[in-house]
Amino acid sequence: MDTIKQIEQLILQNKVDIFLGYKDLDGHLIPHGFTKENLDELKDLQISDNRYSLEKVATHLTEKNPDIKIGIIARDCNKRALNLLYTWNQLNPENIETIDVNCCPSPLKSHSDCSYLEPRQSGEFKKENGVDYNIEPEAFMGKFDNNERLTRWMYEFNKCIKCYGCRNICPVCFCKECSLEHPNLVEPGTLPVEVPIFHLIRAAHMAGRCIDCGLCEEACPAHIPLRLLYREVNEIVSNVFDYKPGCSDEKSPFSVLGGDVVLEPKPMDFKYKEKNNGL
Amino acid sequence: MDCKFVPSVCSYCGCGCGVLFEVIDGKINSTIPLKSHPVNHGQLCIKGWNLHEYINSFMRLKTPLIKENGSFQRATWDEAIGHTASEFKRIKKEFGPDSIGVLVSAKITNEENYLAQKFTRAVIGTNNVDHCARL
Repeated sequence: MDTIKQIEQLILQNKVDIFLGYKDLDGHLIPHGFTKENLDELKDLQISDNRYSLEKVATHLTEKNPDIKIGIIARDCNKRALNLLYTWNQLNPENIETIDVNCCPSPLKSHSDCSYLEPRQSGEFKKENGVDYNIEPEAFMGKFDNNERLTRWMYEFNKCIKCYGCRNICPVCFCKECSLEHPNLVEPGTLPVEVPIFHLIRAAHMAGRCIDCGLCEEACPAHIPLRLLYREVNEIVSNVFDYKPGCSDEKSPFSVLGGDVVLEPKPMDFKYKEKNNGL
Repeated sequence: MDCKFVPSVCSYCGCGCGVLFEVIDGKINSTIPLKSHPVNHGQLCIKGWNLHEYINSFMRLKTPLIKENGSFQRATWDEAIGHTASEFKRIKKEFGPDSIGVLVSAKITNEENYLAQKFTRAVIGTNNVDHCARL
């Protein structure tokens, strides 16, 4: 396979120190870091239709070693996430090399090679009382009035088990301090979670950030249509600022509003410094 | 720098959700759900998401402790098991086998559960064996 040769070349020519791809392990396609030391494992490399947040792994690696050169199997969603991480200084584009593969269906692209190939279907009860996964934001807004929409979203939010999975899996969630862990906003250790504030905090923070990869929706054990929620939020950002997260190397409008930096990004070389200064 | 993903099973409850440990340079860095696992299909609860935290916790017990004179003392496994066995013997002799109860778990395997009830009935000699799901 050409992709494997390409990756082998990248590793052998020292263009990347580690290549993040997928390999088959007892029938499970799982992410794996290919390096010079385990080059023979490269033959097991697969283009998985399971999607994992490889760019999040890249940020973890970069936190430990800011100079590491990383190669990544990239679908469109991975590339949008990488673009966004570049603009927020979480990754250095000079240290990232991508090998492009087919991606999930989106309004922009119909061909797909991932778990979104068959979008999740909503059951009858969900369609009747909640929010259909596959409804378009405009259709949803047009079909129901304010009260109806609130009731439907509240039905969805009330199912939340506060697992923080949406935040944990999100490739563009990198803040040092998370509002969802702030005791004044979200009371720690209590269930059920306060609705709709919990979900609205996250939705507000996804404005100008969410790259519409849908990983949060896949990871949600309560089947809340998060992708649709963040799509609606991003629609506003797109209308007001003409900004589409991850589609260009433009900075988010929220990174330049006001004099203070509201979201302090994690210092990339924190652990590196800690190790070298012996602090 | 080395980065690999190790599949495992969540160690908290009896569901047995599939997890992947993100291991960087031999140290577990985070936990993510295993998407192809038949039990959880790439979803986890909050305990599963934080599975890696106790592994590297400085508060984690690495040796057995025996309480002597009101405080815990480090012990070897042989000492701890020996101590437990002798205490079982003493209590059984003094108060009878029904003074001991065994609680098994959904988290351990069928075989371990079988062994535990066998141990309770045949070695200790009581029917006081129950399951954590009925706690």
